[in-house]
Amino acid sequence: MTATTNDPPTRNIGRADRRADAREKVSGQGVYTVDIDLPGMLHARVLRSPHGHARIRAIDASAARAMPGVHAVLTRDETAAIPMPVYGYFIKDQPIVATDKVRYEGDIVAAVAAEDEGAANRALAAIRVDYEPLPVVTDLESASDPDAAELFEDAPVGIVPKYGAGASGALRPRRNVCYRFSYETGPADAFAECDHVFEDVFRFSRMHHFHLEPFVCVADWSREDGVALWTSCQNPFAVRKEIARIFGLAENRISVRVPYIGGAFGSKNGCKTEPVALALSRLAGRPVRFCLTLEEGFLTNTQHAAILKLKTGVMRDGTLVARESEILLDSGAYSDGSPLVAEKAGYRISGPYRYRRIKTDCYSVMTNTAPAGPFRGFGGTQASWACESQIDMIARRLGIDPCEMRHKNLIDLGEPFVPGESGMDSDLREGLDLVVRELGYRRRGALPDDGAVKRGMGLAIGFKDGGGINKPALARVKVSTNGDIFLQCGTVEIGQGAHTALSAVAAERLGADRARVRYMPIDTDHSPFDQGTNASSGIAVMGQAVDRAALAARRQILEFAAGTLGCAAEELDLAGWEIRRGNEAHPLAPMIMDRFGGTGWEFVGEGFHKAPNSPAAPLESPCVFWEIGWGGAQVAVDTETGKVTVETLFVTGDAGRAIHPLVCRGQDEGAAVMGLAQALFERMIYDGSRLVNGDALTYRVPLADDLPADFRSVTQEQGHGPGPFGAKGMGEGAMLPVASAIANAIHDAVGIRLTELPLTPERVLAALAAKDTP
Amino acid sequence: MAERLDPRFDLSFTLNGAPVEVATTTATTLADLLRERRDGRGTKLACERAVCGACTVLIDGLPRAGCSVFAFEVAGCEVVTVEGLATDGALSPVQAAFADNAAFQCGFCTAGMILLAEALLARDPDPDEATIRDWISSNICRCTGYGPILEAVGDAARRRREAAR
Ligand code: FES
Ligand code: FES
Repeated sequence: MTATTNDPPTRNIGRADRRADAREKVSGQGVYTVDIDLPGMLHARVLRSPHGHARIRAIDASAARAMPGVHAVLTRDETAAIPMPVYGYFIKDQPIVATDKVRYEGDIVAAVAAEDEGAANRALAAIRVDYEPLPVVTDLESASDPDAAELFEDAPVGIVPKYGAGASGALRPRRNVCYRFSYETGPADAFAECDHVFEDVFRFSRMHHFHLEPFVCVADWSREDGVALWTSCQNPFAVRKEIARIFGLAENRISVRVPYIGGAFGSKNGCKTEPVALALSRLAGRPVRFCLTLEEGFLTNTQHAAILKLKTGVMRDGTLVARESEILLDSGAYSDGSPLVAEKAGYRISGPYRYRRIKTDCYSVMTNTAPAGPFRGFGGTQASWACESQIDMIARRLGIDPCEMRHKNLIDLGEPFVPGESGMDSDLREGLDLVVRELGYRRRGALPDDGAVKRGMGLAIGFKDGGGINKPALARVKVSTNGDIFLQCGTVEIGQGAHTALSAVAAERLGADRARVRYMPIDTDHSPFDQGTNASSGIAVMGQAVDRAALAARRQILEFAAGTLGCAAEELDLAGWEIRRGNEAHPLAPMIMDRFGGTGWEFVGEGFHKAPNSPAAPLESPCVFWEIGWGGAQVAVDTETGKVTVETLFVTGDAGRAIHPLVCRGQDEGAAVMGLAQALFERMIYDGSRLVNGDALTYRVPLADDLPADFRSVTQEQGHGPGPFGAKGMGEGAMLPVASAIANAIHDAVGIRLTELPLTPERVLAALAAKDTP
Repeated sequence: MAERLDPRFDLSFTLNGAPVEVATTTATTLADLLRERRDGRGTKLACERAVCGACTVLIDGLPRAGCSVFAFEVAGCEVVTVEGLATDGALSPVQAAFADNAAFQCGFCTAGMILLAEALLARDPDPDEATIRDWISSNICRCTGYGPILEAVGDAARRRREAAR
């Protein structure tokens, strides 16, 4: 880890001190939703469908209702009384419990709240459901065939967001497709002028987030005048809005509180456990805890498997000209965040390169499998896998070095990604050159082979628009008489280090040490509104609101002091809760008490940030920042066993300015290891509509043993970010290049091209065999 | 029926150095028993299948998955949880090393990782990198990518050796 900034050291920015949450988290004192315990709290469990697709003929829960310790049973009979018992992001298609049909194995059919989970499970076992099994849809390519079964015969309520130049969306454009995103720019005849046109197909596997803290909430609707909800959730205000809509409640009667979150990686956006728990709590008149098992987590939200078809036109010298693509995303049985993921996968498919012509269609295909939703990378992982593999393939076909091919086509610093977009805010070549140096890429021809074991190196550049679309951020900074700082904003601490980084920004502006800041607990009743902790938006979007709030508080403090001292505020500085005027120091506490008396005063600064809307921008507003993950790998491929050993993995992101270097490193390395696992082994395996490895023992996630012998990251600080002190967001970028860098390295080592993840020994051997049989 | 299958009994063991007498049931796991206590929620549950190690506690000095040990198994044993590591508010060297190296993100695996490291260092005060990697590979961390955890354990070993000098 190196920092490359030339900026002067500051009190807080760039310091690798202890994270704000360190003490609580190493001493077991941090409170998570799983730790919330209310008096009289009941426990919920749910009955899940054993069928991938079936009509529900009848449900008989009478025996369950009569069982001891059971306080509430929720079936479609009860949800019929709820104003809008369905939820989803753009498309409201997921019922709280199944009504007419079940659409995947694991779909929720009924729920019970009882004295303990055991009693709830016994009650579930007594519920009789009469199913009429229906044919299942599990294959992306045949899902839209006229004879394919249909998941939704009737159109659920849905919306298409506003798009700008070249972009469009459509609901239900064809059978079993809930959403299509399309984007088009440049002359339609651009392919005609290309020397070569290459068409390749890539397949992307599906992972589960495997956050260690399960999906969990505690819902209290025991009082008539409002509901309280503690939930492990990335976007409490969005959940508040959904709860209000579903149950017909006023938003000011819903308090959503988010303690520490034990990991999410995208999965905890939007309603998950909350509607069931609230409905049960209302029926029982008691608080209800609903905590899923880790196995149920697999059935609740996943990444999108994908098929990506790319057609790329290129000149003889390697200049990219035109890119058409069709992407099919396996969205599972309910739309969840799929329309948004489709939008992003489609938008990002051209990668960080300059084209004259881009045309994309990306489809959210419904299948009888677990709902897919946001996952670290958010469509960018799928897009980068295909895009960065194909660039390499084209380079090799043209006899150009893959690194030179990238250099030739990369977007320049400041150049818009596409017309109407914001300019590239990282020097992409600088990052690529860093990887080349760190990896020793130019010397790869001299890598030794050991008999059947051959070595090679590969590069890739992961790319996504970061910071979310059209996302507002609000923050409030309060400073008490004694100089204690309260930071209020809606960014949840999910492990990414938001408390640390945002507190550092506020402290820096107020001339204080970060330890003086308390990051206030999230409660939608008091926290400033926020759309959600996602899209790597913490520092680049919320950071700007926090920065402004702190500067507003600072201005008030200086103006107050100027009034007292009888001078202009511009003559004053603030440090260590003293006013500095030349070499005089005036402690603030006595000055405040002198003016206000009593218990003193609180200065309150508010800060707001939002990227301005622009009809020229394809996605409503220009991208806030570009999140780039450069990666390089050295592999050893055993041509006898097919085993791929990643000997070196190097990743680097651009923090713009690293507010907290350890936090930045953690984001890049954690993301890279997720990418490594996806490249080599981690995946959900479906047999038809049945998930066969949906548990901790058979679903393999990476362990410390899986790290490459040489695993390094560098946090670049190129200084072009829009966030405070030049910061950019992090957290997803370094996942994006890993799989394609490894596939490219395998190609370099043994001349085979794997286009399907994961890169298993079986696939390596099959490709080697195919290569040897012309 | 449930009552008969799951009879109550009195259990005594030592928890973080203090004697505990508690009425529990034969079906209660150690992790559940600990988490029922106000001061026991630092022990976290994730997989509940003895795979991830989030629930790791020390039983007579050995790291065990608290989710997969019955409470009755610890009768007469010394149990140490994350709450028992600091002395007079001072973090243990392992805790301090985890804090200083940012060897955590969401923190859900952290108690288990720290107890695993405590057990390793009690047995081998100067483990080499391969040994650390080997031990840490028995628990899952989904956030950090492991690098900072491995470094924190090495750092903790140094701190412990220096403190012992
Ligand atoms: S919760 Fe005990 S090992 Fe995972
Ligand atoms: S810090 Fe989140 S699982 Fe390890």
